[in-house]
Amino acid sequence: MAVQQTTRSTGALPESRRRSPGRWVGTALLTVLAAAIGVAFLLPAVWMLLGSLRPGSEVIGSVSPLSWRTLVPDTWTLDNYVALFADLGFGRSLVNSLLVALVSVLLGLALSVPAAYALTVLRFPGREGVFALLVVGFMVPFEAIAIPMAQLFTQWQLDNTYLGLILPGIGNGLAIFNLRQFFRGVPASLREAAIVDGAGDFRIMTRIYVPLSVTALINSALLIFLGQWSAYLWPLLLVSDQEKQVAAIAIARTFSDTEFNFGQMFGGALLISVVPAILLLLLQRHFATSVASSGEKG
Amino acid sequence: MSAAAHDRSQRTALRGRPSAPPQPAAPPQPAAPSALPRRRPGRGRDLRTAVLFLGPALAAIVLLRLIPFAGAAYSTLFERVGVGLLAEQRFAWFANYERLLSDPLFLGTLWRTIAFNLVINPVQIALAMAVSVLLVQHLPGRGLWRVFVFVPCTVPLVGSSVAWGVALRQDGPVNGVLAALGLAPQPFFTSPQQALFSIAVVASWIGIGYWMLFLIGGLNEVSQELYEAASLDGAGRWRSFWSVTVPMMKRPLLFVLVADTVANFVLFVPMQLLTNGGPNESTTMLMFDAYRRTYTYSQPNLGATAILILTLIMLAIVAVQFRLLKEED
Repeated sequence: MAVQQTTRSTGALPESRRRSPGRWVGTALLTVLAAAIGVAFLLPAVWMLLGSLRPGSEVIGSVSPLSWRTLVPDTWTLDNYVALFADLGFGRSLVNSLLVALVSVLLGLALSVPAAYALTVLRFPGREGVFALLVVGFMVPFEAIAIPMAQLFTQWQLDNTYLGLILPGIGNGLAIFNLRQFFRGVPASLREAAIVDGAGDFRIMTRIYVPLSVTALINSALLIFLGQWSAYLWPLLLVSDQEKQVAAIAIARTFSDTEFNFGQMFGGALLISVVPAILLLLLQRHFATSVASSGEKG
Repeated sequence: MSAAAHDRSQRTALRGRPSAPPQPAAPPQPAAPSALPRRRPGRGRDLRTAVLFLGPALAAIVLLRLIPFAGAAYSTLFERVGVGLLAEQRFAWFANYERLLSDPLFLGTLWRTIAFNLVINPVQIALAMAVSVLLVQHLPGRGLWRVFVFVPCTVPLVGSSVAWGVALRQDGPVNGVLAALGLAPQPFFTSPQQALFSIAVVASWIGIGYWMLFLIGGLNEVSQELYEAASLDGAGRWRSFWSVTVPMMKRPLLFVLVADTVANFVLFVPMQLLTNGGPNESTTMLMFDAYRRTYTYSQPNLGATAILILTLIMLAIVAVQFRLLKEED
């Protein structure tokens, strides 16, 4: 404390403060705190991973007495994963989840990109109203109206179909908003020059606007993908056919089974985390920046 | 083969919007009338393009949002005579609303949902902010601690529910740790006093890291010069947090707060999977209530009424979110 006051009154530069003992202790304490928080967040995931690699009964069996064996298995096995893929057909559910999420991304972008483009460059009456309708309408999570929508989809005979799983997830309000925000940053002179050269709007959009907005496209794709990948209520309501069911529900089914096996459940829960983990680690920068500070990019 | 190619080039010529490959093959036709409109930059052209480009999105919002919403709103005006999904329906004006809004169980659910959100969202965002500020400091191993906190946010809610559903069991490892510390075991999901808190843990384990992704992005954009200026003015870490970081982060903070509220208002998985709304209704929220009324109690009209109330609240929150986004322009 005294050290800090003297450095402050003499107006010393931050570098000299950093070398002072008080500063060093502060950094050490903060590092310990950061490490403790990090480990606290990671620990349940590690426990799940190690639990999925031991016989299912040991997940709870090893709790008492509490020792390092509670976390680290003494018997290592891949039986849980073998059972997930062989007996429970979890691979099929994972493929279904992947298919639904990927097609949703494709359809979602095919729908959002032209919409955002039209709402950026074209002038027509009611433009801001349409923009607000699309963004607000698609920002209300579709879970909110999933129940009446499931009844409607059943009437339309879209229950137990991939199309039925895909459709509600293709609209994303934030995706449309972010895309327009990026498109507004593209100089209007580029489009005017292209029009003079005889290019139509479709060509201008695909050759000029889209290549300049890769970050916004990745961000929108991720929003749609993650929304569909973690969807739970909608597939629960719409799909009863195991063959078409997605991974999130398949895991929940094993949880509600009477003879549940915690090792298998952990394995399944980790398997559905792998795809988002890879995507987020690779694309994290694109994901975070454009939502937190979309104003500065536009 | 040639017929197909000819057909294709003719179609693209007619559309007046040549797509990449066939353009050079087609002989130039200066008098083609359909080529004219695209040369004329006017309102009519804009409007036609707008209809084409916005068509799919507008069709989607009508089919996937407005029609289901209107259908639900309409069905709230009917009552079922008898029990079950096949019972006859009778127009009943606002009887469903009267019934729901005078039902203490529903009012309890409504209040619980609002109170839960008023507590969990600020707490989650405050924790996410605190951890973000800590993890943007220049500390040894910073990248590693960040990844550690981010790992859970890749776990879908159903995975978090499974993990904590097992961890917080009576004979689970959390109680194991409590016992090792000499503390009494806790009932967690099986106690009306602790079940809601346990559900908040399920949501926060994955939520805090997720919102951190956004907050750290915003923190990195706060100019370092502001901190240096504050430091020269004699501000310590605590002071510069409140007078530099918080004012500069106001918009990202408000945005994630509202987005978090939107997400948690429809929280459903942990209730469906772990508590079934209990014990003693202590974890029944609007979304789960609507689900249970519709599918378990076979009261779809009352379920739709609950859905309508939920959707209207969501719309109000999303409108705030939209305003926040627009303000950044």
